[in-house]
Parts: sequence; C-alpha cells; structure tokens
Amino acid sequence: MPFLKDIEKYKSLSIVGLEKNTGKTECLNYVLSRLRGSRKQIALTSIGIDGENRDQVTQTHKPEIELNEGMIFVTSETHYAKRRLFSEVIDVSNQTTSLGRLVTAKTIHSGKVMLSGPANNAEIIRLIADLKEKGVDLTIVDGALSRKSLGSPAVTEAMILATGAALSANIPQLVFKTQYVYDLIQMAEINPELKPKFRGIENGIWALDESGEVKETGISSVLMIKKEKDKLFQFGTDFFVSGAVTDQFLDFLKNQKQVNQIRLIIRDFTRVFAKPETYYAFVKKGGRIQVLDKTNLVAITINPVSPDGYRLNSDELKLALETKLQVPVFDVKRIENAVS
Amino acid sequence: MQFRKAISEIKGLQYLAEELDLQSPMGKRFLLDSEMLYNETELNIEYDLIDKVIQSIESDPKLIADIQSKLSHLRDIKGTVGNLDANLILDDIELFEIKSFAFHCHAILNLQKDLKQEVIGLPNLSGLVDVLDPQKSGIPSFYIYDDYSEELAEARKNLRIAKSENGDSEAKLEELFDKAQEIESRVREELCDKIRVFAGDLRTALNQLAHFDLLIAKAKQAIQLCFNRPELLKESTIYNGMFHPMIKDELLKQKKQYQAIDIELQKSVCLITGANMAGKTVVLKTLALCQYLCQFGFFVPASQAKVSLVNRIMLSVGDDQSELNGLSSFASEMMNVNQMVEVSQSHENVLVLVDELARTTNPVEGLAIVNAVADIFYQNNTRSVITTHYSGLNPYFRKLRVKGLDKDFGDQRITKNNINSYMDYSLVEDNTGEVPHEALRIASLLGINKEIVEKAQNQLNMKASKNKLEVINYK
Repeated sequence: MPFLKDIEKYKSLSIVGLEKNTGKTECLNYVLSRLRGSRKQIALTSIGIDGENRDQVTQTHKPEIELNEGMIFVTSETHYAKRRLFSEVIDVSNQTTSLGRLVTAKTIHSGKVMLSGPANNAEIIRLIADLKEKGVDLTIVDGALSRKSLGSPAVTEAMILATGAALSANIPQLVFKTQYVYDLIQMAEINPELKPKFRGIENGIWALDESGEVKETGISSVLMIKKEKDKLFQFGTDFFVSGAVTDQFLDFLKNQKQVNQIRLIIRDFTRVFAKPETYYAFVKKGGRIQVLDKTNLVAITINPVSPDGYRLNSDELKLALETKLQVPVFDVKRIENAVS
Repeated sequence: MQFRKAISEIKGLQYLAEELDLQSPMGKRFLLDSEMLYNETELNIEYDLIDKVIQSIESDPKLIADIQSKLSHLRDIKGTVGNLDANLILDDIELFEIKSFAFHCHAILNLQKDLKQEVIGLPNLSGLVDVLDPQKSGIPSFYIYDDYSEELAEARKNLRIAKSENGDSEAKLEELFDKAQEIESRVREELCDKIRVFAGDLRTALNQLAHFDLLIAKAKQAIQLCFNRPELLKESTIYNGMFHPMIKDELLKQKKQYQAIDIELQKSVCLITGANMAGKTVVLKTLALCQYLCQFGFFVPASQAKVSLVNRIMLSVGDDQSELNGLSSFASEMMNVNQMVEVSQSHENVLVLVDELARTTNPVEGLAIVNAVADIFYQNNTRSVITTHYSGLNPYFRKLRVKGLDKDFGDQRITKNNINSYMDYSLVEDNTGEVPHEALRIASLLGINKEIVEKAQNQLNMKASKNKLEVINYK
C-alpha cells in the first residue's frame, strides 16, 4: 500500500478513530502487518486507557493488538500481566498511571496485547524520545480523540485517521464529518519562535500584544466569556486558549466587529469542540485558528460496516472522500482480506 | 531523632540536605531515615568513610563519577525484595527489577575494586546474575528464557511453528499458548525458589548502596563547601572559622564576604552580647546546625572543629508561629524555656541555645529572667548559650561580645547595604557586664526617619545629665 512508504519517513505516527468501530484496530493491525518485512524497529503504545473501557461497554471486541515478533511495545503493568504473548521486559518507568507503571517490552513471539500508555502530552513526547534512544525507528501511538484526555495524538509527526459507517450511515454526512476533522488537522501551525511562549500555559485565555508579549486577559476560561467579555480585546486580537474551544466561544467571536482580525491559537486540532457549522461560520467571517502542534495526515482508512451491521458501498465512499480530500483513502476490511 | 524530623526544625539542615548530590531513591530514603548518633565510635566510623571517599574523589574523580552514574540507575526494590522474602511468586517485571539491580550492584562492586581502598562492603551477586542471565547477554532485560526448561522451549517452538503455518484455528493457537504459559508459570515458580536465597544479600546490597550514595554526596558537599571533620571531645566544643553555609551562599550571590568566627563552649552558660545586626542569632543557628551535622555523621562548616556530643539540642530563636497555638510570643517563649530549665535541672547532657531571652517584656523583669535562667544553667553545668541586649548580667557568667562596628571606616559612608563589610562579627571575651549601646547608630545607618533618632538621642542626653546631677548632688 502506498501510504506505508510515507510512514517510513516519520519517527512517530498516531492512528486515530473518529468514532468507535471505525476500524482503528484493523487499521493498526494492517499497518503492523505491512511493516512485518521492514527492518525498522517498531514500537507501539497508546494514549491513556479509555479505549478499553468504551469497548467493554459496547461489548464489541477488545482492542487487542496483534504484535509481530521483535516489536517493542509500551503498556501498563495491569495490561502487561494480561498479555497473550511472550515478551522480554526492557524497562519499567518511574511514573505510574492509573493502571500501574509503564512497562517497555520486546516481543519474543507474535501475539496479542492490550495497550495503555501515558496520559498527557509531555509524557508521550518524553516516551517517544526515550524509545528513540532505545533504538526505535518508528513509534506508533494508538490514539483517541477525547475531550477528557489531556494527551493528544497530534504530538506525533504523522497521523492516520480511521472513519466509517459507525460515524454516519449516510455517505454525504459521513464525508462532511470527516472533512471537518480533515480541515481542522490542516489548520496552520504558528511561527515556531512563538511556540515556547505558550507551552507552559495551563489555563485561561491569553493575548499576544503587538510587541509579541503574552498577556493574561484575566478571563479564566472560555466558559466565562459571556461574563467577562469586556476584558477580551484589551491587548489586541491574537489569543491563546489553552483548553477547549467551544461553540459558545466561537459564536461570540464571530459576532464581534473585529472578527476578521482575530487569530485564535490553540494547542492542536483536538482542542476544537465546536460543531462544524460554528467553526465554518467563524472562518467564513475571516477569523483564523492556528495550532502549536500540527501533524501530517498521511492517509484515511474507512470501515464501511457499522456496528449494527449496516454496510455502505465501499467504492462509493472511497471515491466521495478522495474527491473531497487530498489524501489517499483505504478500506480496512478489504485490505485485511487482501493480506490474508 | 530521625533526620527527617531534624530538617523540619532546622532550615539550614534542610538546605544542605536538598543540596546533597544523591543519585538513587534509596539514598534519599536512607538519609531521611538515619538516626542521630550519640556514640563517638559510630560517628568516627562514618567520618572515616567520608574521609576515604574524599581521598578517592581527589585521586580519581572520574571513577567516583562513574559509580555515581551507576547509582543513578538504581531503583528502590525494597518492596520486591519483601515479596521475595514473603515467599510470593514474582512477576516478570519484579524479576526484571531484581536482575537490573543485581547488574548495577555488580558493576559498582567492580568499579570499587579500582579504588585504592574499598569504601563499603557489597555482597557478591554474581550467583544471582548467573541465574537471571542464562544467556550471558550482559543486558538487564528479562523474560523467562527458554534456557530454563527444555519443556518450555519445546512448547514455545510448537506455538511458533503453528503460527507461521497459519493453518491452525484460533482455538488451537490459544490452546498452545495456554500450555506454554502454564509451563512458564511453573518455571517462574522454580526460578523464584532458586533466587530466594539471595533475598538477604539483596537487602544488604540495597542498604549498603544507599549508604554509599549518601557517603559520596556527603564527601562532595564537604569538599565543595569547605566542611571539615570534627574531632570528638568530652569537655569543650570549639569551632575555629565557623560559618553558616546557607547565609554564606546567599552573601556570595550578592558578592559579599562571610566572616567566619571562632567560638568555644564549655559545660556552662555563656552569654553573647553585641549590637543589633551583629550576627548573634546567626551564631546560635550555626551552633545548632553544626551540632546536628556532626551527630548525623556529616562534616561541619568550620575550618577546625572539636565537638562534644550531646543527647539533645534545644533551640529557641523566637521565630516560631506562636499565634497558631494561641499563646503570646512571651508565653510561648516561656513554655520553651521552661522545658530547657527542667532538662538542665535533671542534668541531662544537652546543648541549649536561646536567642534574646525575655526580649518581649519590660527590661527590668526581662533582665531578672535572664539572670535567673542563666543562673540555673550555670549551677547545673548545662552547655548553653543565651544572647541578650540587657545590661547588668551577673558578673560570674562567662560573656562574649560581638566586636561590632569598631573597624576603621575611613571616609566611607556606611549604609544598610554595606554595613555588613564594616561589622566585625568576631567574638571577644568581655567581663564588664555592660552591653554595647549602638542601637541608635545602627538605626540611623539603616536610614530610618531622623526624627526618631534625634528624639531618642535627646531623651538619652536628658537622662544622662539628670543622672550626673544626681551623682553630684549625692556627693
């Protein structure tokens, strides 16, 4: 598959599902199976642990990943104990997650394992760096898009997006929703020199004034915008928002007379929690959103089958997406069959 | 008393503890858990060890740095060793920890062989390394190796073949995996039985390595901060060139000099007088710090030190939060002093340090209290230091006075920023019983409102002429 060539350029890759059962696990397993012949050292981990819980609720199959022999993986102590393969412990982290410390291990035999990993961006970045030190060429992160998660898959260099019938059973609707995420991923990155100014900020709305200085607006959260709107424009129209960007906030900005000068800076695309309509209305009026961390979308995979058994026409869906988006699209069900 | 408790009471001690270059988590635990020592032999053993490390650092700094780097890789496996002792079956992660610990311990053992003299005895864990590294890979990673059991190797081989053939059903593969895993569990159990004999050695190694880590940190700090080994005496405590490292460091940052002082304490009371800003409180704090350092097995901040050991150090510097326990500063001080007096009356071997006793009440009664308390310490031969501003101390007390502002200033103007360089902080024996009257001078140097100084001076002049008159009339 062509997108695998692209993957080899990167040091880190995340695989993100837009909805559960959009075939993320199949996509991941496919990528791994393709990499079987590669001489590169591959490592696998995950962000947080929420994937497993969700799937226990819906009673669909657990997101166990089939690992190849010689692959490195990182998971929590709890999941390490449940592994269905033989592996060699290489390292144990000092920090603990809710499921215990993180274990780095190398598989002796191929087999299945449940993945969990660090829960926030700083630790994911540190882990990727640490794995690189241990001789890993490519770290693959099983990512989740979640409002609750502090960790974002956008910290990896490259990303594959898994979408499918589980998101919507109507092709135009599915394309629209996928395109929205695609558009968010394409948001421009800010000038690298500005990045350090915002890295350490943990909450509130901050302004970037004309002299390039970061000023606290005194607004503690976008949720407070209605109450404290008088403070917003005191230092200009460039803002950094550390948390989520909501419908209410974008709606408010859209209605301001300065809207076409507004530049909103956010951590990464996963911080936008607004409806597509709200986002597009804001952009249409001239507002801009830029990110600290931008990732490269290398491919989209589709799963035309929804969990309740509904099946979309794979070719039609693939064509519709490819026409709209400038990214290769693959059907995971089909590539799986092609592999075996 | 544990070090953990001492650092919560003495800021200077906490400062030094934080500056220690400890590498391992157990080094830190070892320090916090260490008990104050009251026995000369035990302390001298510790000082000898620090001396050895200092010599090693001086002759081969790289080797010590290598040892420190190995120490930094150690993990505190106390819990795992406990599990091993308790006859539990360890999982692969715990076995990995033990293996990795044994590797590092062995490496440190070998590094230490290159030192001119062995500092600390370490158990030889090569037997354990052999068991946990059957492939002699020399890498600390671990799993239940095929080498442990032919049966396990066979079961895994079957699984591998079945997987590669791709013909078998999922259920069949699961069955093969379960079988291999079952054998693995059995092998793990046998392995744990085999390494259980090393639990004692591991415990010793943990403790010895923690101690080694602390010794290196102590030695490096002693070199860096110019601390010296105290000589332990029975009678007097004598410091030459004593300094407070935290304050010295702070002054250094401001590009100022710290004046070290000499002091000798006998088994009796000693009163320190001197102008304001003359460093009396610092003397007390440094004495407390030195005594703690000495008895926790550290070298002390002095160019030469002879220290007499005590059972307890009692310090009252009046900066404790008396509001919190509902007492006034006077009441809280008196409660504190009361304890000191009771200890003195029971002839316990203590070091008592009181800063400006009874300073928060009127000078008439204040003086009386100072004389009374000092008298009790005097009669009971309690090693004690009291600082005071009161004149009229009993003549038979030993008194030390801070020299104060009696250097030649030349044409320099003294301000609060440079007063430190004109103050002579050294202590001199003083038998007059009079205290220096420099409060107004210092206050005016600090640049406080002139009106205060002038009015106070007038008041004093009036009082002085009145006294003169009375003397003349009396004659």
